[in-house]
Amino acid sequence: MTKQPSPFAQPIARYLPGIFVSTLAAVVGPAAAQEAPPEFDTSTVSFEEPVPEVLTTTRLRQPKTRVPGSTTIIEGSLIRDLGIKHLYEVFRLVPGMTVNFVGSHQPVVTYHGTSHYEQRRMQVLVDGRTAHRATLSDMDWESMPVPLEMIERIEVARGPNSAAYGINAFLGTINIITRDPADTDGVEAYVSRGSRGYERTFGSLGNTGEVVDWRLTLENRQFDGFGTKRDGNEFHDGHNLNFITWDSRATLNDQANLEFRTGMADGVNQEDPSKNGGLTPIENPDIELRDYYLQSRFNYHFSENHFFHIQAAMENFRREQRYRIVAPSGVVDCLLQGTPLYASQNCFEPSGNPGDPPALFTEINSDYEDARLELEIQDTLLVNPALKLVGGAGFRKDTLRSETYFNGTVDNYQSRYFGNMEYSPWNWLTLNVGGNWERTSTTDDSYFSPRVASNFVFNDSQALRFVYSEAVRTPDPFEQDPDYGYTLRNVSPDEFSELEGFRLTMADINPYPAQTTLGEDLEEENITSYEISYFGQFQMEEALLYLEVRGFRDELRDMIGGVIKLRDWTLANSLSANQQGFEIEAMLEYPATTLRASYAYLDQDTWYTGDPILDENGNVDTKEQKEQAELLERMSVTHSGSLAIIRDLPWTMKASAAYYWADQFQRLNEQFERIDGRLSKQFFGPKYNAELALTIQHYLNRDPEMGRDDNIDHHNQFFVEAAVRF
Amino acid sequence: MKATPDIDAYRQLESSFARWRVWLCCLLVLLWLPALTFGQSAGATDVYVAGSGNDALDQYVIRQIKQSVGPAFNLTPLSSRKNLPGNRAPVLAIGPQAFSRVLQQDAKQPVLALLVKKSLVKEYEEKPGSQIGAVYKDVPLIRQALTGKAILPQATRIAMLATTESADLYEPLLEQLEAFGLEARVFITDTNEQLIPTLNRALSYGDFLLAADDEAIYNPRNIKHILLTAYRRNKILIGPNQSYVKAGSLASSYAPFPEMARQAAEALMAYRETGQFPPPGYPDQYRVQVNEQVARSLNIPLPDRDDIADTVDQILLESREGSQ
Repeated sequence: MTKQPSPFAQPIARYLPGIFVSTLAAVVGPAAAQEAPPEFDTSTVSFEEPVPEVLTTTRLRQPKTRVPGSTTIIEGSLIRDLGIKHLYEVFRLVPGMTVNFVGSHQPVVTYHGTSHYEQRRMQVLVDGRTAHRATLSDMDWESMPVPLEMIERIEVARGPNSAAYGINAFLGTINIITRDPADTDGVEAYVSRGSRGYERTFGSLGNTGEVVDWRLTLENRQFDGFGTKRDGNEFHDGHNLNFITWDSRATLNDQANLEFRTGMADGVNQEDPSKNGGLTPIENPDIELRDYYLQSRFNYHFSENHFFHIQAAMENFRREQRYRIVAPSGVVDCLLQGTPLYASQNCFEPSGNPGDPPALFTEINSDYEDARLELEIQDTLLVNPALKLVGGAGFRKDTLRSETYFNGTVDNYQSRYFGNMEYSPWNWLTLNVGGNWERTSTTDDSYFSPRVASNFVFNDSQALRFVYSEAVRTPDPFEQDPDYGYTLRNVSPDEFSELEGFRLTMADINPYPAQTTLGEDLEEENITSYEISYFGQFQMEEALLYLEVRGFRDELRDMIGGVIKLRDWTLANSLSANQQGFEIEAMLEYPATTLRASYAYLDQDTWYTGDPILDENGNVDTKEQKEQAELLERMSVTHSGSLAIIRDLPWTMKASAAYYWADQFQRLNEQFERIDGRLSKQFFGPKYNAELALTIQHYLNRDPEMGRDDNIDHHNQFFVEAAVRF
Repeated sequence: MKATPDIDAYRQLESSFARWRVWLCCLLVLLWLPALTFGQSAGATDVYVAGSGNDALDQYVIRQIKQSVGPAFNLTPLSSRKNLPGNRAPVLAIGPQAFSRVLQQDAKQPVLALLVKKSLVKEYEEKPGSQIGAVYKDVPLIRQALTGKAILPQATRIAMLATTESADLYEPLLEQLEAFGLEARVFITDTNEQLIPTLNRALSYGDFLLAADDEAIYNPRNIKHILLTAYRRNKILIGPNQSYVKAGSLASSYAPFPEMARQAAEALMAYRETGQFPPPGYPDQYRVQVNEQVARSLNIPLPDRDDIADTVDQILLESREGSQ
């Protein structure tokens, strides 16, 4: 008989080991648990979905204690709270920066001066896009498509920063960061009206979504500029400009997103006939401008520690300036006979020819179109928490089309490679070593700009920095290779039609072309800069105090000086300068009260180093040489600064006051001094915010500092504002 | 009738196996006995533990409470599949799910809740016959607000985001803040489209943003947008809890777990003596979790986190003494 297996035997046999183990566990379990309690991290207790880490290292900005150099950060809210009316006026808050005007109310912003007309030695970026116009080495602040309401913050890196931003970041770098498209306010409207014909109207509309965040803004800016000129006539120097901008970001996936921005500026910038060099306009030589830009940036994160971006930007600036001029008819004979106009006084007299009309009328233009194409790729690798590597490459093509300045089209190419290593071997030390190698077709040469910085950090809240940097600035295409001349069109009366299409160049005007430097090659300018700076942040019982002090010494060599005029062209690497000084920036935040102060002391010594300038007798003209050197110091002031206070008042009111001061611009030995006061009432509704404000600007000194016609007619200027957001 | 040999043999086998089973059971009972009686003492109160589903957490909780109550209580894990004990012995519920599960089975079951929010406890507390004790997991908002003030001593205005429904969370706070020289405003956002515009408006009002444990606003989906927008505006978020500090909130107060366990143990002892739990409440001691990396990046000098907690305690103590 075959023994049948028990129906129970097999299961029980199967259960036995389990029973044994569980029994053993029950017996020894509690004792074992007491001997080795399992560790448990209570901070992770959560019964909801896990919260993702958002503000990771890659998204965080570098703390000021680790930044390799002094940087001023102006928050957008500060700009608005102080009632600042124009973008360029913001820079009066930055220690060492001066703001003034040339020509027909053309704002000039400089750091440590060295600018007598064009703003040659500073890099300006808007959201990473170059705003400084390298082809003419200048800035047009009034036509910048940056509404004040959209400024998130402005970072000003003081000191040479070519290692990071390329060869134009010679004395400093302004980086304007506008509000992120994801931070859109739904609908926002703003209206301001005030003295000197100030009118600003702004509106924005936007939305955020799972995939696309976008914002559209529209703005109109109108301003009459300065008041009455010395001759009693109104200064024709205002503007009426319209802007449209679009900012968007498409989130492609967790690792990639694509930003797209575009914008356009259009309108009229008034030019006063008396500010037009040696020519005699018979109508206002106003500039019609139309600018546009397209910018796209692809951001990709390989991982939390490795990411890169590719950016492409295209910008186009078009200026149309056409106007009629008048000249004595003697000019006609001189031009036709090849006699330089300044060779004979007769050229500026009515023609002696019988039957000739007394004057020549003709239209000339200063039109130009400046197009720029920029490509940049940048890769960031966080090797470990102590070591960060940034590297990249950039390419830029500048094209300038102008009959007047180039007699056609000029292309300029630049390519660069840059890198930076940030290494913090210990928490108390951060080292930065960076450099930029760049080649430009303007000089057909390449340049290397290094920067080395060491930050000694105490308690994570104070730092002592030592920075050494070198930078170059290459001449712009117009400085280096101009073909300057006005083409005469619509010549009248008919007797002078022979001059129709005639191109008036320096050879037709200046009898001594050998005394000019036109056609001579220019070399790069060099700066070597040393900085020792201190940054500290302190928490007091009821306040936070921030203090930054920068001491510097700069050696500027082979500086390009001289003048650019059709009649006279004396540009040369003929100047040197040494400058030293210190700057202080402090902010104290009390409950409901913020105090801010800035001060700069600049000791600048400029001297002529070019070929001797000879006077009529063949002797060295030291006076002329000194004057050329002084041109570089026109906007350099020894002392400058600002004081500001912002105070929250009851009933959601807010008051602010600011004092701006720049001591003795050398041109007219006058100082800029102004006190601003603003009172606002804010409304915080359940579905909207609104604000009404009154701003008063009081000019303590109304005498012009730079242009003799830059008069402010009244000490007090008034502005009202109304804004709503929902 | 005579049984067949096969059947007899089978019966014999069955009979011997039955005896063997009885012996086995006796052996098991003998072996289990010490385990079942381990730690028990005469007069110990039975407490059942409704676990959170996270074994490590449950064991940690039980161990912490045992350390506080000693042998006075028998803590017996309650399987989630089993019904509640019929004798209405108190149940220690760990976490919101366990708490809800127990009370859904029997609304009159005496329950001591741990790691639950005040808002959830309030829901059940209002039901007739409820016997609920609780140590709240969320932090009193006044404490969170003062944590922000201790970090930003210059702050006077606090902004808060809420939905129409969750705005009540902040109501008591709005009345409390005046005594501390602070004012606050709640900004209402009921849709995803309104979130960022409302946040922007809130940030332009407040010196910092204060978050309650409000899942309608502060959830894993929204937090990225909220933190990034606030960071771009150089504004900080305080709260709602430790998980969000890891995400990028600058700081949050929290009750250390041993403190919550100690308070739970006190509630159990009270129950043993009076047959009732003390009213639900917040823990007495808090600590502060900070995100140093975010503070450094925003150039905010951060005091030591123990100092922040001490400052908040001091302010609250002075306030209480003042009001007495």
